[in-house]
Amino acid sequence: LESLFAFQLLVAALVTGFLYALVALGLNMIYGTMRLLNIAHGEIVMVGAYVAYWMFTLFHVGPLVSAFLAIALGAAIGVAAYYGVFRAVLRNSRLVARLEANSLLIFFGVSVILQNVAAIAFTANQRGYRYLDTVLEFGSGSILASRLVVLVVSAAACIGLVIFMKRSVMGQAIRALIQNRDAAAIVGVDIDRVQTLSFAIGFGAAALAGALVSMLETITPFMGFPFTIAGFIVIILGGLGNLTGGLIAALLLGVIETYGVALTSSEFRSILIYGVFILVLMWRPQGLFGTRSSAQ
Amino acid sequence: MKRAGTKALGLWIGLLVLGLIAPWATNDYTLGVVLSICMWIALTQSWIVLSGLTGYISLGHVVFYGIGAYILALLWGAAPLWAVIPLAGLATGAFALLIGFPVLRVRGPYFVILTFGLAELVKFIVINIESGLGQSGRLLFGAPSLEDLYYIMLALALVATALVWITRRSRFGAGLRSIREDEEAAETVGIPVARFKVFAFALSAIIPGMVGATIVMRTNYFQPMDAFSPVVSFTIVTMAIIGGGDDAPGPILGVLFLVLLREALWSSFPEVYMIIVGALLVAFVLFAPDGVHGRIVAWRRRRSA
Repeated sequence: LESLFAFQLLVAALVTGFLYALVALGLNMIYGTMRLLNIAHGEIVMVGAYVAYWMFTLFHVGPLVSAFLAIALGAAIGVAAYYGVFRAVLRNSRLVARLEANSLLIFFGVSVILQNVAAIAFTANQRGYRYLDTVLEFGSGSILASRLVVLVVSAAACIGLVIFMKRSVMGQAIRALIQNRDAAAIVGVDIDRVQTLSFAIGFGAAALAGALVSMLETITPFMGFPFTIAGFIVIILGGLGNLTGGLIAALLLGVIETYGVALTSSEFRSILIYGVFILVLMWRPQGLFGTRSSAQ
Repeated sequence: MKRAGTKALGLWIGLLVLGLIAPWATNDYTLGVVLSICMWIALTQSWIVLSGLTGYISLGHVVFYGIGAYILALLWGAAPLWAVIPLAGLATGAFALLIGFPVLRVRGPYFVILTFGLAELVKFIVINIESGLGQSGRLLFGAPSLEDLYYIMLALALVATALVWITRRSRFGAGLRSIREDEEAAETVGIPVARFKVFAFALSAIIPGMVGATIVMRTNYFQPMDAFSPVVSFTIVTMAIIGGGDDAPGPILGVLFLVLLREALWSSFPEVYMIIVGALLVAFVLFAPDGVHGRIVAWRRRRSA
C-alpha cells in the first residue's frame, strides 16, 4: 500500500491528467463553437506522435523542437478540415439539422482514413525511441527525465491556453461564441475567424499532446481512440466551455486511471477508461446539454 | 407505379432463387463471397431496426456479434448446434434488454459515442477473462460444412430483411419513426417512447448474436480482438448509409457494393479498402444522406411525375 503514495505514481497521474486536458481543450473548443463532435481528435494526437518520432529517428531532432512542427502540422490540418469540409457543412441547412450526428459520422470516416493512411505510410508496428531516459533522484523519489519534461511542458501549455482564453481578445471571442453564438455574431465577433482559430488551436494542442506522448510510450497508427474517449469524459465532466472545470476533470481522470492501474494491473487500463466513460454518461445522460442549460 | 412494384418483386424473388441454388451453381470461393453478402445483409438490416428507424445511431453493433461468437466458442462441443445458435440470439437480446433502459436514456450524439465505448468495454472485458483463463484464442474443430453454414446465414439474412420490412410497416415501426422525427412530440402524443426504444434495441440485437455464432464456425477460430473489432460496426454503418433510408432494400444495395469492393481489395490492399470506405462514408453523409436507394426512389418519382 505504501507504494501508492509514491512520488512516481503522483507524477504519472499528473502527466496523464495534463495530456488529457490538452486533448480535451481542442474537443471542447470545436464542439463549443460549432457543435461538431470530433471523434477523430485522437488521430491528430497520433499524427503529432509520428512527427516527433520521425524527426527524432531520421534527423536526430529532439521532440521538444519537433513539437513546434507537430503543432504547425496539426493546426494546418485543422484549418484545411475547416475550409475543406466543415465551413460548407455549417452553411448547409439540411446537414445542420442533424449536425452532431452528421459530424460524428464524417469524423468517424476521417478517423478511419487517417489511421489507414498512417498504417500504409508507417506500417502498423509499434514504434518508440529513447530520449532523456536518465533517472533523476528527488530525495525519497526518482523520476525519468523525459517524464518530468512532459509534465512541465504539458502543464505550461494547458495553463498558457487557459490564460489565452481568459485574457486575450481572440480567446474571449471564442468563449463568447461558446456561450451564445447568435449574440456573439450580433456584437461583431468574426465567426469565421473564430471557427478557423478553434480548429487551428484545437488540432495544434492535440498534435502537441501526441509529440509529448511519443516520449513516454510506443506509438501505433491506432493509438488515438482512447485519447478521444478520455477527451469526451473530460468535457462532459468539466462542462462545455469551462476550461478550469476541464483541467480539474482531466487531472481527476489521470488520478483515477493511474491509481486504478496501480491497484490492479495494466491490463485493466482500457476497462477503466471505458468504464468511467460509460458511468459518466449514465450519470449525465444529456451529455453537455445539461451543463449548457444550467450555465445559462 | 404498380408495374414498378411487380418488377421489384420479380427482382427480389430472382435474387432469392439465386441465393437458394448458389451452393450447386458455384465454387467454394464464390459461395464464400455470397455467404459474406448474407452475413452483412443480416447485420445491416438488424442495425436498421434500431438506428435506421429511431435515428439512435449505434457505432457499437459489433458487441452483439462478438458476444454471439463468444457464446458459441464457450459452448463448443458442450451443446448441440441447433440449440446454441438460437441461444446466442436469445442471450444477446436479453443483454440488450438489460442494458437498454440506462443506455437509451443517453440521447443523440452521446448515444452514438456511448455505443462505441460500450463495445470496446465488452471487448476488453472478454480479453481479460480469456487471458485470465489462459486462453489467447479458441480453435473450433469439426465445424459444419460451408454449405450448411451458408444456409444458416441465408436464413438469417432473410429473417433480418423480413424483420425490417414488417417492423417498418407496423404501428410499432411508425412509433419508432416518430421518435426519430421528434422524441418529445412522440412522448406527448402518448407513444411509450422508452419501452419502444428498448424493445427495438433488443430486437436489433438478436440477429447479430446468431450471425456471430455462425461466422465463428466459418473461421474456426475465436479471438476477442477480431470478434469485437470496431471495423465490423464501422462497415455496418457505412453499408447502411450508402444504401440509405430506413427500409429493407437500402441495406442490400449498400452491402452488395461494399462486399464486392472488399473482395477486390481486401486481400492485397486492406488499408486502401478501409480508406475508400471512410471516404465513401464522408461523401455520402455530405452529398447523398438518403443513400443510393433514396436517390433511386427520388429519380423514379421524378420520372413518373
